[in-house]
Amino acid sequence: MLEIKNLHVKLADEDRMILKGLSLNVPKGEVHAIMGPNGSGKSTLAYVLAGRDGYEVTDGDILWNGESIIDMEPDERAAKGVFLAFQYPMEIPGVAGLTFLRTALNSVRKKRGEAELTTPAFMKLVKEKGQKLNIDIEMLKRPVNVGFSGGEKKRSEILQMALLEPTLCVLDETDSGLDIDALRIVSEGVNALRDKDRAFVVITHYQRLLNYIVPDKVHVLADGRIQKTGGKELALELEKSGYAEYTHKAA
Amino acid sequence: MNVAVMKTKAEQAISENFEAVAEKLPGSEAVKARRAEAIGAFSGLGLPHRRIEEWKYTDIRANVKEIFPSAIHDAARITIAELIVALGPLAHVDAHRIVFVNGHHRFELGDLANAEGFKVAALGEILASASEDVSAALATTPEGGDAVEALNTAFMTDGAVVTVAEGVTVAKPLMIVFVRAGAHAHSVTVRNSLMVGKNASADVIEAHVVLPGASADAQLNTLTEVTVAKGAMLIHAKVAVDDGKALHLSNCDVTLDADATYRSFQFSTGLGLARNGLNVIFEGEGSKIDLSGAYLARHSEHIDTTLVVDHAVPRCESRELFKGVLDGHGRGVFQGKIIVRPDAQKTDGKQMSQALMLSEDAEFDSKPELEIYADDVVCGHGTTVAELDADLLFYCRSRGIPEKEARALMIESFIGEAIEKVDNEQLRDALAAYAMQWLGRSVRG
Ligand SMILES: Nc1ncnc2c1ncn2[C@@H]1O[C@H](COP(=O)(O)OP(=O)(O)OP(=O)(O)O)[C@@H](O)[C@H]1O
Ligand SMILES: [Mg+2]
Repeated sequence: MLEIKNLHVKLADEDRMILKGLSLNVPKGEVHAIMGPNGSGKSTLAYVLAGRDGYEVTDGDILWNGESIIDMEPDERAAKGVFLAFQYPMEIPGVAGLTFLRTALNSVRKKRGEAELTTPAFMKLVKEKGQKLNIDIEMLKRPVNVGFSGGEKKRSEILQMALLEPTLCVLDETDSGLDIDALRIVSEGVNALRDKDRAFVVITHYQRLLNYIVPDKVHVLADGRIQKTGGKELALELEKSGYAEYTHKAA
Repeated sequence: MNVAVMKTKAEQAISENFEAVAEKLPGSEAVKARRAEAIGAFSGLGLPHRRIEEWKYTDIRANVKEIFPSAIHDAARITIAELIVALGPLAHVDAHRIVFVNGHHRFELGDLANAEGFKVAALGEILASASEDVSAALATTPEGGDAVEALNTAFMTDGAVVTVAEGVTVAKPLMIVFVRAGAHAHSVTVRNSLMVGKNASADVIEAHVVLPGASADAQLNTLTEVTVAKGAMLIHAKVAVDDGKALHLSNCDVTLDADATYRSFQFSTGLGLARNGLNVIFEGEGSKIDLSGAYLARHSEHIDTTLVVDHAVPRCESRELFKGVLDGHGRGVFQGKIIVRPDAQKTDGKQMSQALMLSEDAEFDSKPELEIYADDVVCGHGTTVAELDADLLFYCRSRGIPEKEARALMIESFIGEAIEKVDNEQLRDALAAYAMQWLGRSVRG
């Protein structure tokens, strides 16, 4: 289970608090959606889960499977099963996609005490997972994400997730920028990973995604805290009424 | 008092060295006369030092205190197996080879018998046996009053003289290999000449490598003269890999006729003090060059890349991309001069030099210079100096890649962008392998 307890986060080099006592539990096997206005701290939460520099946890804790992760390095967290699909996936000029995927997969396998994959085994796996996400192997010979369209970048994130088989999957606006078919393909990719040992945190602005990836719970994050929690119908409500109620409450 | 007149110990040693070996150097009377002229010119100039504008960042006089014995009659022999060891990743590049050990042609190590399309000869043999006018023509000192090139004429022992006949397209590259070997301190001087005939096309790789166990006290002066005739193309790579101490003074002088193409890639690593000079003159319209390179320096290694591209005629295109990775007290110097003469309208020149700094003690000096005398031209240059991108490092680490490995991957990606310019896939892989080896030692290790 993911347990976020009274999390307070500020920017490392500014005094501004972004998360102000956020608490949230996501049990294994569940999908929780987080919705909320722009600038409310959703990506900040995602980055803090993944261990990005530049943020300072001033209070509270994050436990994954009962273990605090806030002092772990990003790669240690990845080995523990934490994965963030970035809102803005980064381009790495000069590093071929396949090299990147293989380095990542073998690093994680090594830390998990599994043997490294041979080249043929790795290629077979990438081809198989890529096919499901409509990602051609030729695309992966190019540098990571360089020259990819917005939608291609998002699919490439999900391919990384499918390969690394994390147990805590955080998706930050993976649906933004996807066309109708890509949305379905990506959702199928995510749904294929759903199982009793995995927890999902799905950050989105659009109720539409939640028709494909049906959440167990929907949370409204505004002003650095969870303001409301409900079932999937909460997303429909938000679609109609917006966030005025919550931002008002915050003010 | 003019300080330049006072000779340093090293400069004196050079003159004395010349006196001692002049008689034994290969060549007819005419060649000997050229050598004498050259050493005379050198005596006037002295070793390049920082008060000469082009040597501002690379002071040879201050850094070279000692001159090692000239490998005039160097008897160092190596086996094919040792050659393969010295070549390292380059051994996997499918190419015809001509091999020199400490500046002397070793016929038995090459395989020129079926180097179809290339006419290859050893300069040492030509100087010793060819007619006066042929050998003397090969022993000229390029104009421009450069002390290093003058020294090259004075001391050169050997090198490859390569011609590709008009209209010939050579499929397989030629690799000119210079191996340094032997436990004794040595200084080696070599000269190559690459002449590509009209509408011909060829691929030449110049490799300067070291056999493990060779003395760290090594000095090399190498000069390659290149002429690319009308409509011809030459792809020319120079790879210099040593063990971290050697002095490496290199020049490459290129002349292009009309509609010619010259693509150059220079890779340097493990060089104690290096100057890679590259001078290109466009003599005919409509020609194109791409000069690129990658270098890696650490400890107190110093790698200088100095380009002069002279657009003397209209409608030529030049592209330059050089990337350096600097760790420890490593120092990179990039000087790129583009001259566009008054007549050289429609010149298109772009230059980029980038350095990645892995340590606070590393240093990078960049001096791009545009001298433009024509008005209808597109010319630009850029320099970037950066550290590793923290966001990209985080991206890699969030995928489980440990920090050291993520750093290595990022450095590979930086240098890889330059290496991608290499046309030959096997050579590209070999250079990437060198970069990985380097990273294995200084970043992953
Ligand atoms: N590194 C940073 N430097 C400066 N400000 C930051 C940084 N990271 C976050 N912020 C600020 O923190 C607030 C929360 O940002 P965050 O990206 O978490 O919002 P969000 O909920 O993901 O918004 P959106 O829906 O637009 O993606 C914003 O005001 C943002 O400008
Ligand atoms: Mg966001």
